[in-house]
Amino acid sequence: MIAGYTVIFGIMLVYIISLIIRRSNLKRTVSTLSDLEGEKK
Amino acid sequence: MQPKPRLLTILDIVTIILFIAAVGMVFFYAPMEAVMGQVQRVFYFHVANAWVGMLGFMVAAISGVTYLLKGDHKWDIIGLAAIEISFVFFFIAIISGSIWARGSWGTWWTWDPRLTSAAIVELLYAAYFLLRQGLEEPDQRARIGAIYAILSFISVPLTFISIRIFRTIHPVIIGSGAAGAEGSFDMSTKMLQTFIFSLIVFSFVFADLLWHRIRLGRLAEMAENLRLKVLS
Repeated sequence: MIAGYTVIFGIMLVYIISLIIRRSNLKRTVSTLSDLEGEKK
Repeated sequence: MQPKPRLLTILDIVTIILFIAAVGMVFFYAPMEAVMGQVQRVFYFHVANAWVGMLGFMVAAISGVTYLLKGDHKWDIIGLAAIEISFVFFFIAIISGSIWARGSWGTWWTWDPRLTSAAIVELLYAAYFLLRQGLEEPDQRARIGAIYAILSFISVPLTFISIRIFRTIHPVIIGSGAAGAEGSFDMSTKMLQTFIFSLIVFSFVFADLLWHRIRLGRLAEMAENLRLKVLS
């Protein structure tokens, strides 16, 4: 039972962390690209 | 970038509270099953994870049909979001089921019709990500992704009914199972309440994660458009 719930909670947690990291990286990318676009204009 | 909607924050809080309540019910409210013992408690979240998996694959198929009819890219983002979440939850269902099987059947895995069809579903949706990776052009990626999501969905109801039409050792929780099914048990009222509550809670988890993943998809689309503008 402990192994089962470790897998369930563990994988869910890893997925949520991956969403947070990807969002943070994308925000940084959008911000950089917006700056580059501004300089281009 | 759009600020986080107030409704999403409320959904986050409600989902977390419901999830904690579901964990409490599984460990402290539902009684221990007499034959299988503690390992049977895996059942509540195992089925709920499989439910989220199947729900998401259905959402993706509907999104695929809608995309093909309307050609709006938001449906591609929804379809991808639903498949990604369902892929993760279906994977958890397979692994937690394997742990339950070890305690109930004495083996981690057997090529039973349900287990085999579940593995095929997971592989089919793994291929969806590989397919998308190989397509550069957004319209083509969305169109082929939509068609693939619709066709792959055929495997989902087949997996659901596999334990009802084939001879299998996998127990049928709702309805009557095969004579050779091992690990079946009669649910007491408290077990049934915990089971239904877990299904409702995981539906909330799915809705919450789907909303977050759709927002992430929109952000990725924005980044892609900006990159094209900068490079042009």
